[in-house]
Amino acid sequence: MSEMSVSVSAPSVHPGSQPLPEAPAKVTARNLNFYYGEHHALKNINLALGTNRVTAFIGPSGCGKSTLLRIFNRMYDLYPGQRATGQLLLDHTNILDPKLDLNLLRARVGMVFQKPTPFPMTIYENIAFGIRLYEKISKSEMDGRVEKALRGGALWNEVKDKLNASGLSLSGGQQQRLCIARTVAVRPEVILFDEPCSALDPISTAKVEELIQELSENYTIAIVTHNMQQAARVSDKTAFMYLGELIEFDDTSKIFTSPTDRRTQDYITGRFG
Amino acid sequence: MAVQSDVIDDAGPYDRAKALSAFKLGDVTFYWITRLSAISVLLILGGIIISLIVGAFPAIKEYGLSFLWTQRWAPSADPPVLGALGPMYGTLVTSFIAMLIAIPVGLGIAIFLTELCPQWLRRPIGMAVELLAGIPSIIYGMWGFFVLGPFLANTFQPFMISIFDGVPVLGAIFAGPPSYLSLFNAALILAIMVLPFITSISVDVFKTVPPVLKEAAYGVGCTTWEVVRSVVIPYTRVGIIGGVMLALGRALGETMAVTFIIGNSFRISSSIFAPGTTISAAIASEFAESDGLHQSGLILLGLLLFVLTFFVLAAARLMLMRLETKAGK
Repeated sequence: MSEMSVSVSAPSVHPGSQPLPEAPAKVTARNLNFYYGEHHALKNINLALGTNRVTAFIGPSGCGKSTLLRIFNRMYDLYPGQRATGQLLLDHTNILDPKLDLNLLRARVGMVFQKPTPFPMTIYENIAFGIRLYEKISKSEMDGRVEKALRGGALWNEVKDKLNASGLSLSGGQQQRLCIARTVAVRPEVILFDEPCSALDPISTAKVEELIQELSENYTIAIVTHNMQQAARVSDKTAFMYLGELIEFDDTSKIFTSPTDRRTQDYITGRFG
Repeated sequence: MAVQSDVIDDAGPYDRAKALSAFKLGDVTFYWITRLSAISVLLILGGIIISLIVGAFPAIKEYGLSFLWTQRWAPSADPPVLGALGPMYGTLVTSFIAMLIAIPVGLGIAIFLTELCPQWLRRPIGMAVELLAGIPSIIYGMWGFFVLGPFLANTFQPFMISIFDGVPVLGAIFAGPPSYLSLFNAALILAIMVLPFITSISVDVFKTVPPVLKEAAYGVGCTTWEVVRSVVIPYTRVGIIGGVMLALGRALGETMAVTFIIGNSFRISSSIFAPGTTISAAIASEFAESDGLHQSGLILLGLLLFVLTFFVLAAARLMLMRLETKAGK
């Protein structure tokens, strides 16, 4: 688990993991550029997230990996002066289309943040809230959906007796799993994880990682992480980014054992970053 | 070692204990100065309450509790007949209507400023709101008397009266004739006066909502309205209620502007378009030419306002506590 080992050798990929067969693309970026005002933050990104695969984004701070993630659900739209050019497709939908219904897009592309962000309401309401935005369902049906989502977030057994307690009363790790459950409840197609474990202790981290693996059976997942072992453990493909460019994008086992680019090699062995 | 023993022995060129005792004197002085400052608040508060009670004593002895439910106010009768029902009713009704108008509008401005407003428009609107708070109340009074009162009496009031004519309850609340001087006009001026309190406090607390929490709400597909209603307002509830309480305290006690436009009538009318009075307006308009029992009665009114404000604010605080337990914090 410790970061220390990084400096010695590249982290090992989970044993016996053969690269999965190439999956059809869920999200495709072509010549994607991003600007914070004048600052050119992402340069000509070309990549595809495979359907029901986990794609990890690694790279030193400020390399643009979180920025890239925030384009996938147009979160940058909340802030003036930020814009993206190029092409970004979710199946056949153009994500960058200015006329796109953003609420619908964000229902299809869910996001889990660095810090747990439970809403100021009960645990039950935290889950039901998102569902209610899109569907009108009966109380009993809602109970079922909430339970299913909490089970999906591997949290049900811990909270089933206190669904009416405040979401803020949970521990950090539980809060994060609540946020994952909340994201899953809306039934998205893609889930974005922006350093989901950076505020969690090792045990909670392990739980969330396990959860990400389970979720990848049904969802397309993109995860930004600073922890290279984590990328190695959970992802099928890994993208290494540096200074706003996509340096290398390949099977995770390939990236961590025989990277082609010198900079990737240096980064995963801890020589810079 | 030598240095250490010096310290322990209190000997040597550097006498640490003495230096410490000098600091200690400073500490003690500081403690007493701050303590006296804090105590002086209690003394001033107690002094005001005592002098109010002493001043009001003749009236308390004369009228007793019936002061509270007597509507007639005849200071020149012999003996004078004084009752606080009219002013108490006016105070509560004007404050209530003022909050009814000011809370939604004030929150609306705050939400627009923090969530929706384009950057270039933020400063002008924010500054206008702050300036609104800086206008002296006498100006509001004059403006209400010369401009707002006639305007309402010629437009809004006849309109409402004709709409609700014959409707039970509402017909009585919006009954004619239109008047320059009325409870409603006073309430509207009060609403404008307390608006900046609600807006500026709400803007400040809205800014404390972590951006990532809002992003999370947008992330599950919320519209701006849903984010504000379900995340921003619940998250800042305590701060908003604090702002509203401050505004309510001001509305209950506001004197000058209200005295100008409320009409100083002690009779209670079902219509909010009829003249009325508030406790502070009654005191302000009669105190200068009062004496004896009349003056004592006015002081008793002041004491009542004190108690009324205290209870309203205590109730608000109680509500706040109940909200917090409900939220499971």
